[in-house]
Amino acid sequence: MLVSWNWLKQYVDLGMTQAELEDRFSMSGLNHEGTRPVGDDLAIELEVPSNRPDCLGHIGVAREVSVLYDQPLKLPAADPASGSDSAADYVQLRLEAQQLCPHYTARIIRGVKVQASPAWLVDLLATIFRPINHDWAPVNNIVDITNYVLMEVGQPLHAFDLAKVQGGQVIVREAQAEETFVAIDHNEYTLAAGMCVIGDTNRAIALGGVMGGADSEVSSQTSDLLIEAARFDPLATRTTARALGLHSPSSFRFERGVDPLGVDWASRRCCQLILEIAGGEMAEGIVEAGAAGQSSEPVVLRLAQLERILGIHIPADEVARILTTLGCLIQESNSESIELTAPSWRGDLSREIDLVEDLARVHGYDKIPEDVGVPMASSQRTDRDRVQDRLRQALVSAGFDEAITASMVPADWPGEFMAWTERQPIRSNTPMLKGADTLRTSLVPSLLEARRVNQSLANPLIELFETASIYLPSDDQLPRQQWTLALASGQGYFAVKGLLESLLAALKISQETELKPVDLPLLDISRSAELWLDGERLGLLGDVCQAGCDTFSLRGETTILELNIELLARLAELVPQHKPTSAYPSISRDLNVIVAESVRWSQLQQLVAATSGDQLEHLLYRETYRDVERDGENTKRILFTIVLRSDEGTMTGQQADELRDAAVAQIEQQLEGRLLAT
Amino acid sequence: MAIQQFLDQLQQLTESATAAFQQAGSLDDLEATRIDFLGSKQGQLKSLQKQMGSVDREDKPAAGKQFNATKQAVEAALEEAQQRLSGNSQERSADPSFDATLPGSPLVVGHLHPLTQTIEELKDIMGRLGFSVADGPEIEDAWHNFEALNIPAAHPARDPLDNFYLATSQKSQPADAPLLLRSQTSTVQIRVMESTPPPIRIISLGRVYRPDTADATHYPMFHQMEGLLIDEKVTMADLKSVLRLFATSYLGEEVHIRFRPSFFPFTEPSVEVDFHWNDQWIEFGGAGMVDPNVLTSVGYDPEVVSGFAFGLGVERLCMRRHGVMDIREFYKNDVRFLHQF
Repeated sequence: MLVSWNWLKQYVDLGMTQAELEDRFSMSGLNHEGTRPVGDDLAIELEVPSNRPDCLGHIGVAREVSVLYDQPLKLPAADPASGSDSAADYVQLRLEAQQLCPHYTARIIRGVKVQASPAWLVDLLATIFRPINHDWAPVNNIVDITNYVLMEVGQPLHAFDLAKVQGGQVIVREAQAEETFVAIDHNEYTLAAGMCVIGDTNRAIALGGVMGGADSEVSSQTSDLLIEAARFDPLATRTTARALGLHSPSSFRFERGVDPLGVDWASRRCCQLILEIAGGEMAEGIVEAGAAGQSSEPVVLRLAQLERILGIHIPADEVARILTTLGCLIQESNSESIELTAPSWRGDLSREIDLVEDLARVHGYDKIPEDVGVPMASSQRTDRDRVQDRLRQALVSAGFDEAITASMVPADWPGEFMAWTERQPIRSNTPMLKGADTLRTSLVPSLLEARRVNQSLANPLIELFETASIYLPSDDQLPRQQWTLALASGQGYFAVKGLLESLLAALKISQETELKPVDLPLLDISRSAELWLDGERLGLLGDVCQAGCDTFSLRGETTILELNIELLARLAELVPQHKPTSAYPSISRDLNVIVAESVRWSQLQQLVAATSGDQLEHLLYRETYRDVERDGENTKRILFTIVLRSDEGTMTGQQADELRDAAVAQIEQQLEGRLLAT
Repeated sequence: MAIQQFLDQLQQLTESATAAFQQAGSLDDLEATRIDFLGSKQGQLKSLQKQMGSVDREDKPAAGKQFNATKQAVEAALEEAQQRLSGNSQERSADPSFDATLPGSPLVVGHLHPLTQTIEELKDIMGRLGFSVADGPEIEDAWHNFEALNIPAAHPARDPLDNFYLATSQKSQPADAPLLLRSQTSTVQIRVMESTPPPIRIISLGRVYRPDTADATHYPMFHQMEGLLIDEKVTMADLKSVLRLFATSYLGEEVHIRFRPSFFPFTEPSVEVDFHWNDQWIEFGGAGMVDPNVLTSVGYDPEVVSGFAFGLGVERLCMRRHGVMDIREFYKNDVRFLHQF
């Protein structure tokens, strides 16, 4: 809202400096956004909050000055003289859409002289319109007056050329589908149901609350006027203005709600100015349909509530002064409470707490202290935060950078990586970024995209991880939002698998991870696995296959890992318990066994662990190699080391040999392997 | 004397002399050991040298060669022991082939995202002020995102153009009550209050979503921190004091704050909060006293308890702290950007 300094001072004395007033506005609820000189006037830009439409006119702003500086408010006259003929003789009004237009009024003025506006009027309008539109120019005295009253009191008005209102009828109705309308801006708009039309017997002559029509506008030939002052529904106005992309100062005010009792005052004010400036004669009475709004319900303010909510005391006489100056009618008051009725233009003052707020802002928030002793309280870190911290620390230590990627992805990405759900992902009606309208069911595609972006910049080292929610459709009221960790690395399958082991170790999770085969189009079928922990699916590990790399335009080897953090959090031992360590040295034995190609390391591992029992401290894999000439086809040699230790005494070489031999016996028996050398 | 016997003796001497020199605990000790092995009259090496005379003539060159090698080894062991015991008493000369200015072999350490670092700092400060972290879903229903927050059905904030409404996906979701991505973290406050009796002292942090076109200062996804304190006798002075403590902790020096009136549906009175820092007022975020309608909607009695809430945008705080000029940098995940923090 742009406010003219010269205009404002018509209603209230401005004894303060410009800077002081601007600051005071900011501190009392009308944020000062800037000031520009226009001619010998100042255009002060104020941000009016959406619950204060009363400040969308100069009188409302002047009332703020009046209460802030304890100065009287001088309201202009609105008492136009009328002639003997009746307005109803000139026009009939039919209100068919009261839900779109609760109140419609029309006054008739005949015999006006349409010409240029006087300089004072043009100057005031120029102050507030020219900073927004450099090419702004006055239209004619009639249109300029309606704009003047709009910006004076915040009530939009429209002047029709009465001669163009066909059939002598004004019909306020809902638009028909596909109905067209040419507005004052000379653009044609196609209307839709839910929009409010002001029509005559033939056509739409205005779009209610939004804009007048081109062929009923006041021109130099106009002599008789129909002055519309009405109240249009806020939501319908908003929907219409948005649907047509047709925003006007009028629609802006109707959207926020005009003073439900101010329609008639504005109409009279407008007619008075027209009579003064353009002459003519006003017909007696008003043509009206619908009803002015109700005055507000009384509100009781308990003075103790001020201190209870604000933490400061405001003297009772100051409370009464502020409320009265704001326009409240005090009906009853005693030492404990005040009963009052808020003014009709302050629809936001309907509850006690509303009055508390208004008193606080006028009295001044600077009076509230910033150093009261707030009681201490304990606070706890959540396990989720603890787990996430450990994971992040481990990943950063391993050289990974943390990414944050968007929650919505292009619709075809989840199809590339349906790891966590078989169901179709959730989609939004509005895309977040271009083409991204699907809530992701995996973080992996987002990280592959981030990897691609980094590759395109030829960044040498691209190791990225992210922790975020994924969104899995479910039968519950809300989708399942699984807290998930994913990473994309160029270090290869075994480096990432080793990292997984380190992450589990960082959380002191001792259960073994089980690997199951998985077939996902994005991953290499051999070099990938589904991870299971404690009977639940933990996640996925694998190398991106060539097709996957092609899909995401990736160069070189990429390995991904994705884990359900919630499962990790359940299994994590966040407060590890001490276990006594053996006082005796360990002893190790190297083994080199020949087994069939189909034998998995995990099988060997399980066998050795089972035969060695508690005395096996480590089982260290060394390498695998193949010697077809000596061992035959489909065989391989696996080298590994067992590290043994006893709690009861130094383990002798003989004891170690026995444990090794027991393991070898099992390998021979169950895996048909044999020991090649030790 | 057989050559092999002589060579074995040399070998034994080398081993025992090396061991003895290594074990010498002082310079005196070392001197005694030196006399024992290398003494010019009675030393063990001297006596072995004398025995060389009895080696067969044709073996003499080999024996002599090995004797010299032994002598050098023993003397080297002595020298090493001398250096060890006398510190740097020996003359030192720099090895010109060693370039100490060559780059080290760095440990590659990754970087947490700057937003994470900011969030962790906020959690840390608020934790010290007694606020625990509460989490809630990002996909919300209209009750938690609007209704309970005093945003009724006709409110412009519920406009489809201003929210990410989701196509029906849940079986139990009625078609006229679509789910949406939360537009504020205040939803978490409702969930906590619905399930917990007062007093409440929480912060909620996380992703929120509004369909803005991405530019230097807007992104359709961003992070918010919201705080909530509910108890008996909580006033706006408590709000101001907590925020001042927060600002002073965050900025590391005494900071003053001011309130400017504002409007939010879920608080009343509602204010914008500014910090006075480096001689200027800096916008911090929004705050206010929890609206009685909100307290009622979660089953609290606004006549018994009161409370305050505040919220701020994490990106804006992070941008100001680290001099980031374009919010889109946070979501590009260019490792050169991430490495700066």
